[in-house]
Amino acid sequence: MPRTSKPRFNWLGFGFLAPAMAVVMLFFLAPVIMTAFFAFTNMSTSTGITGGDYLLSQSDLLGLENKDISPETLDALNNAEYRVDDAGLARLAAARDQATADEFRTLHYDATFASRRDVERALKDLRTNRIRKTRDRKDAAELFTTSVMDERFDEESDFRSALAASGINQADHDTLVQEAYTGWIWTTENIELLTSLSSSWRYAMNTAIYVAFTLAFNVGFGLFLAISTFYLSPGVAATFRTIWFLPRVLPPVLYVLMWYWLTWDTGIISTLARYFGIAPRNWMLDTGTNAWIVVILINGFVGASLGMILFSSAIKAIPASMLYASEVDGANRWQQVRYIILPQLRWPILFTSSYQTLSLLTSFEYILLATDGGPGGTTEVWALAAYHTALNNYGGNLQYGLGAAYALVLVVIGIITSLLYLRFFNFKELVSKPRIEQ
Amino acid sequence: MKHFTLGTTALVAALSAFALPAASKDLTVTVWAGGSNDADAYRIDNIKAAAEILSREYAIMGEELNITVEGRRDFGGWEEFKQGVTLAAEAGTAPNIVVTSHMDIAPWSQAGYIVPVEDYLDLDTFPLNDLYPNLLEIAAYNDIQWGIPQDAESRPFFFWKDTMRGIGYSDADIAALPGRVASGEYTFENVLQDAKKAVDMGIVEEGYGFYPRPSNGPDYAQFYQSFGGVLQDPETGKLVLDRESMQEFYQFFVDAVEAKITRKNHLGTDWGQWYTEVANGKAATWHGGTWHYARYTGKEGNEDFFGTIEFSLIPSGDGNGRPNTITHPLVYLVTDQSDDQDEEIAAQLIKIASGPRLNSLHAIKSAHLGIGQQQSNIELYANNQWAAEATERLLSAANAQPNHLGYGAFSEAMFKGLEASWTGAQSPADAVAELETELRAKLGDDLIVR
Repeated sequence: MPRTSKPRFNWLGFGFLAPAMAVVMLFFLAPVIMTAFFAFTNMSTSTGITGGDYLLSQSDLLGLENKDISPETLDALNNAEYRVDDAGLARLAAARDQATADEFRTLHYDATFASRRDVERALKDLRTNRIRKTRDRKDAAELFTTSVMDERFDEESDFRSALAASGINQADHDTLVQEAYTGWIWTTENIELLTSLSSSWRYAMNTAIYVAFTLAFNVGFGLFLAISTFYLSPGVAATFRTIWFLPRVLPPVLYVLMWYWLTWDTGIISTLARYFGIAPRNWMLDTGTNAWIVVILINGFVGASLGMILFSSAIKAIPASMLYASEVDGANRWQQVRYIILPQLRWPILFTSSYQTLSLLTSFEYILLATDGGPGGTTEVWALAAYHTALNNYGGNLQYGLGAAYALVLVVIGIITSLLYLRFFNFKELVSKPRIEQ
Repeated sequence: MKHFTLGTTALVAALSAFALPAASKDLTVTVWAGGSNDADAYRIDNIKAAAEILSREYAIMGEELNITVEGRRDFGGWEEFKQGVTLAAEAGTAPNIVVTSHMDIAPWSQAGYIVPVEDYLDLDTFPLNDLYPNLLEIAAYNDIQWGIPQDAESRPFFFWKDTMRGIGYSDADIAALPGRVASGEYTFENVLQDAKKAVDMGIVEEGYGFYPRPSNGPDYAQFYQSFGGVLQDPETGKLVLDRESMQEFYQFFVDAVEAKITRKNHLGTDWGQWYTEVANGKAATWHGGTWHYARYTGKEGNEDFFGTIEFSLIPSGDGNGRPNTITHPLVYLVTDQSDDQDEEIAAQLIKIASGPRLNSLHAIKSAHLGIGQQQSNIELYANNQWAAEATERLLSAANAQPNHLGYGAFSEAMFKGLEASWTGAQSPADAVAELETELRAKLGDDLIVR
């Protein structure tokens, strides 16, 4: 009876923890692992995600020209043809009947055809043994192929035996197998490409600008709102806070749409500015500076509301007696803020800064909706570039691998930044027990 | 007597063949159409009509085939549609038929998402042998016929007639414009001059002299061709970056901004606003697509299209280039399914839907161009002024963008460079240099730089 309570207790704890663990695994760990995994592949729409087959097509032959492969093989593949020979006729006899094969022999023995369509036309010459179904005719035509070109094989072994059967030099098989594989392969090319492109450095710079300015605005304006509403009467303060909270609760598409109305050349600013003789212009996209200001404000107002709530509640937690005491000592408002409020806000400021840095690094939805990286790529931040590369391509071939490589850089920077923050703000000390309890 | 017996035997055999429970198949064919709005409903409805015919053909052959066609075209945009198709294909739940850009053929065939229609259809039979060969070729990749063109279009240059009159063109001059563009006599230099005149004279506002498409699209490759650029080398099939042509193309947009005929921040303009403006004479010149006809005369309320708008090929940039237009046909593709017979039926449906009568319904309703020669014998098509004139003036000179795995990267990078030059973020020379570095890195051997 005794002794048993301990393991049961453990299981219970684990049971309580399990849902959280599952969520962490599913939504945090798995994406990171998959990003790292994708980043080292050449995965794209054309390679598919779940593996590949073996297929030699015309465009593969172009790639083979620069590879170590015998000219005979290249020649054989380039001149793939259909031939009415004994082997083919035997296959036709087996597939249909001897009479058909014999009639076809008398009509086209030893003829060669460049394409299956030509063989199909030749098969239409059959009179007594007509093939009356399109599919059957195609199947029959396929029996005369002499090459592995344009045929899709599920398994490598099938492809290799087809190569051998079509008389391709054994020495070239490995190269051909490699070229014919349609799936993704491991590669470090994405990382090399990222470091070699000058656009990468521009995206990095853009991200630095975006994060630094938006963060400063978020924290600064959040603090300003929290402190200024603190000195207002509770009712007025609540009203103001609710208004400033609106950007966060509005759906992003709607929120950005309101910015369109505000900034476009047919929008509110332009209409008002017209009264002062200023020609209407697009205040969002006119210049890079315009775009940055708008992007930072759009994101800044959303972030500031979160800071405002956190800071406000932290200020309320400051014992009122301290403020009363300071007033007795003759402190003015500024001195109260400087020496009482701000020092006590250290922890919420740390939290907001680190949380916002990390989320800003990876956030791009408001930029996507507002400027889409424009004008001319000025506001294209790293995360947006990752999105554009991996999921947005007019030509249809999405670069999953390269996009993941972009994202992986963010993951690494995110981890390094959080470690730095923990160290810099002396996190351990902040969460340690008060000395009085030690 | 013997004859009688044989005859009876044959009759009994024939009767029993019919009396036997016929092979019966119920099939739900799903059709997903990308980039399609209400006017494009026939992309799906024609498959329904084809299903009706095919079931009857099967019934005559003694097989019962019940096809239910389920269509879907409510996608948020091309991206959502393409992601939807690829993810469904990966999961093994792809729709049977997709209507999409011909440029998806290269990646999707390589990935094994689609099967060649030529494996199921006799291309030497009607209506396939009646389709324009250049359109069929656009639906082929690596010498294999992967799909069937669903419609054709091309992308003309437009002039607002009143504005042209305002800067001194007579009606005869305006009517001669398409010919002068086609012969290479009227180039983008003239566009620049005429548009500037219209702005300077106050007939159109600043930024409305030349009013291009506000987002990326095949249209911009036309300008590259206008200045002598070639997209694909016909010999090797490799993509081509012609540095000089690219730089001249970028420079034209910089010049247009400097001349105040195009807005520096034009890209990103709302499409709705754009359509309203061009359809009602706010812009002097612009470029668009043949399908715009439906929008201008429909939703935007331009009741006299031919009286207000003249259209031509995209002019040549200078002596080195050529007047041109790009056609970007959508294609019907059959996806890979576990049951081969389902693929065959899907292919047969596409074939029937590509007949002149059914396709003309789509062409005229959506203001697209026909895909087959016999459509000129269908009154609905032949009597439509827009279809007839646009086919004649544009389609013969049209070329398509290449079906090539690297073309997506090429066109994205090309547009990024244009955007950077246009908005003044980079000089055209710098933008082309960066474009070259990027394309060399991304395409490697698949690129020829001239």
